[in-house]
Formats: sequence, C-alpha cells, structure tokens
Amino acid sequence: MQVTRAFKQAFLERMLLGFRATDVSSKSMSFQEKKSFIKLSADVAIAVARGSRKWTRGLIASVSKEQQKRLLPRVIPRKQYERLMKPCSSNSWKIPRSKKILRKSLRVSSTRRKKKLCAVEKRTRVLRRLVPGGESLSGFSLLDETLDYVLSLRAQVGLMQSLLMTCEASKRRAHELKCTSPETKASTVGNRGRCGGIP
Amino acid sequence: MGSAGSYGVGTGNSGAYVTEISEPARFEEEIRSLIQARFDAPPVSGGSFTALLGLSANQAVGLLHEPGAGEISAPAASSSPTGLGHPLGCSPTFPSNAALAERAASFPVFAAADSPASSSDGGPSPPLKAEPPDPDSSPPLPVPFDKPRRPAKRKDCEKQKAKGPGKKIKTAEEQTEGDQLPYVHVRARRGQATDSHSLAERARREKINARMKLLQELVPGCSKITGTALVLDEIINHVQSLQRQVEFLSMRLAAVNPRIDFGGLDSFLMAERGPLAASNGRGEAALDPVSWSSDPAPGTGLRTDLRPSQQSSTAWVYPYALIDHGTSLFGYGAANSVPLNSNQSKTDL
Repeated sequence: MQVTRAFKQAFLERMLLGFRATDVSSKSMSFQEKKSFIKLSADVAIAVARGSRKWTRGLIASVSKEQQKRLLPRVIPRKQYERLMKPCSSNSWKIPRSKKILRKSLRVSSTRRKKKLCAVEKRTRVLRRLVPGGESLSGFSLLDETLDYVLSLRAQVGLMQSLLMTCEASKRRAHELKCTSPETKASTVGNRGRCGGIP
Repeated sequence: MGSAGSYGVGTGNSGAYVTEISEPARFEEEIRSLIQARFDAPPVSGGSFTALLGLSANQAVGLLHEPGAGEISAPAASSSPTGLGHPLGCSPTFPSNAALAERAASFPVFAAADSPASSSDGGPSPPLKAEPPDPDSSPPLPVPFDKPRRPAKRKDCEKQKAKGPGKKIKTAEEQTEGDQLPYVHVRARRGQATDSHSLAERARREKINARMKLLQELVPGCSKITGTALVLDEIINHVQSLQRQVEFLSMRLAAVNPRIDFGGLDSFLMAERGPLAASNGRGEAALDPVSWSSDPAPGTGLRTDLRPSQQSSTAWVYPYALIDHGTSLFGYGAANSVPLNSNQSKTDL
C-alpha cells in the first residue's frame, strides 16, 4: 500500500465531513462526547479512504455496532457503506485453503514448532485483538493486514497532528491579531502584557 | 488509474513549480503560486487538490522513518538537491513493481528518485533506483520449474488470483498491493524434500517471512531484532502506541475545536473549486509556515508577506499544505513536541 496524496486528501475530506455530520463544533456537547466523535470520524475516514480491506471492514463493523447505525449513514456515503458492509466474497475461498495448509503443516512440522508456537502464538493472539477484524485472520493475512493498518494509522496520526497544529496556529494568530489592534490604540504596557498572557 | 490522470496535471505544472524548501524566497513564491494555481487549474477528474504541490507519498512515508522528521531541510540536503524540495505538482512515478514499492516506501533516500521533476538529478536517481531492486530480487527466486511442482503452485496461485479481485476492490487512487505474484517459483534446496506438500508449505513460509521482513522495515528499530517473537512484540507495541496517539490527538482536537468553525471549511470542500468569496474569516488565518518547516527563515518571510493580505484569501492554503506536509513533518518529528504543545494548549484554554 502506498500513502498517496489522493489517499490523504480523501481521508482529510471524510474526516472533516464526519466532523460536520457529528457536529463537533457545537457548544452543546460534553468534552468526552466530542472526543469520541472526533475519534469516530477519524477512524471511519481512514477506513473509507483505504477502501475494502479486512481491517477496514472490521473497523466499520465495530463502529456501526457501537453506534447502532445512528450516525454512520450520515458520515459515509451510502454506496461505499454498502460496499464495505457486504460480506467479503474471498472469505469462502480462504477457508478451504487454510484448512489444507493447516493439515499439511501439522503433518510436517508438529513437534519441531511447538516451542516456537507458544511464544509466537501468544503474540499473534494479542495482535489479532489489536488489529480490527483480525480475529478471523490466519498468519499471513494477519501480517498483511497489520502492515496495511500500520501504514494507515501513521497517515492518520500525521494528518491529525498537522490539522491540530494548523488549528492551534490559526487560533494563536487570530488572538494575536485581536491583540495588536487594541495595542495600536492604547499602547500601555499592561494591555500588551494582558494580550500576551492570554494567547 | 485515477491517480495517473491526476498526476498528469501535476507534471504539466511541475516545470514552473520546482523549488527547494531550503531556499526561503522561493518558498514564498511557491506558496503564492500554489494559491493561484489552485484556482487557475482546470478541474481534474481526480479532484481539485491534484493540481497542487505535494511531496511524493514515498517521501512522506520515508520521512516518517527519520527520527527528526521535522527537519525537512536535513533530508533535502542529504538526498538530491531537488529531491524533496519540490512540493508542487510533480507527478511521482511509483514503481510498477508493487513489492518494490513497498520496500521503497521505507527508503528515505529512494523517495527522492521517484520524482520526475528531479530531471537535473538524472545521475543520483538511477543508482538509487538500482539499490532497492537488489535486495528485492532475492525473495522471488527465479527457477526452472519442474512439472510435478507446477500443479501445486498453480493451485496456490489460482486461488490467490481468485482471491485477488474479491479482496481488492480498489478505489481509483489505490495502488496494487505487493505480493500477488502469479507464480511462486521455489527451488528445492539441497537436502530438502521435494514433494508438493512441503514445497507449498515452504512457499507459504517464504511469504510469511517476506511479510515479516517488510513489517520489520516499517516499524522503527525492528531491523536489528532477530526472532519472530521479539519482532512481533515490537509490532504490537508500535500499533498500540499509534492507537494511543490517535486517541490523544482526538482529545486535543476536541479541546481546540470550538474555536474553529469547520462549517466554512466544509462548504469549501464540497464546492471543490471554492472561490475565495466563500471565505470564513474567523478562525482560519494564514497557515503558519514556521509550523511546517524547521527553518525559521522562510517562515518569517512568508508571514510578513501574507499578513497584509486578506485573511480570507489565505484561508484555503492549509488543507493542501496539510496533506502535503502533514505526514512528512509530523509523522514522528513532532512526537517530541507534542508534550510541549499540550502545555501550550492548556494555556490556550
């Protein structure tokens, strides 16, 4: 997977749409609610921007379970929602194959792998819990989805950070501008100090 | 792919917009021309952002790997001169080999070779491009295949191919994922069984090991670790830390949010060719270039330039800069500055 500019653009657009849909800018929400809605918007945005992967489906499924389909229809456009929510057709192929390979691997390397399996198995289990939708994934697909998920998480974190920086910077700028205009009128040290103290 | 079409516009403009971030004066020009270009460029199928500057995505991901990713000037100096400094419109040509592309994403230096705009740097880029193919050639061992092995591989690859279309319902902007090779040619090593079962088994193991290697390269500090369990440990830690970061950032966004009116920005995004008239003068002042680059010189130069101009006219600059500079500069470089900012935001509130 490549983190393309189009991907980042799609993510940003969706996240901002999600902000609007969940109305986080209103004054009437509690802080916790706002935070959870922002996180929801961001997660849904990254999932939709990525497209159809196992972890994106898992993510959207868990979100819709939590939200009970209250907000999602507004946050995601209907078409992509349907596409993401329909059961993946590849699952039926995967299961017979993994059974065959499991049988083979059991036959070939049962005793040799036991010690290794314990340590790796524990961690695989933890990883399955971390990656959304990872419960039903086998070894290779789990790593594949983890790779994808890590890349998307990074993009998400980076973009959210930059959004935050911009918002804070613009807020600071707005305050500065507000402060400078009364300064020109009343050039008292006290005034300036006050503006500086309340950025 | 839609991305190919959209990058075409970028190439058309790239000649005018190739600059270096290390040059303060040209950074200003570039931002100004960005504003103009954004509203002059014809709409492209991929969307209106496409006409604009952007660090190539490989660079962005590559820069993520650098601990001091906030310093865009340092990587620019180390890589080719025009490599990183061309935020505008150059169409990055992603390598067609997707497995290569994945590896490429982790080579910061290689990112510079992606941009066609670095035409003056024809020298460094071919040798740079030559590097990643070398390590990448080892996993798919070329081999004269035997007939009895073929059915096993065929089955595998057919099922993979069948899985392919179902699994990858791609949007226009996505690239093909790495490892869907049509054939997995595996040579039976000396002293190893050659029956189809163990071969399939070995092929599967090779695949898993290849993925593990990719993950190792992706997660910082993992390449020195040997042993699957420890590597998985690191991966788990990394994923957990990223998830925690998302939570933390959403909390901070919630804190800062009431001041910013996102409604205006939405109308802008919807319109997609939002003229400057659709302005939201309240919270979205000009982007602070000091945030974007560690070099103070372009920042101050830019700020003095943009301040006299209307607030609204510069209000739309930042979404593009966000996209283009966001992940590169703030991937991990800002991780250190996050605690600082949290203190600041507390005083803000």
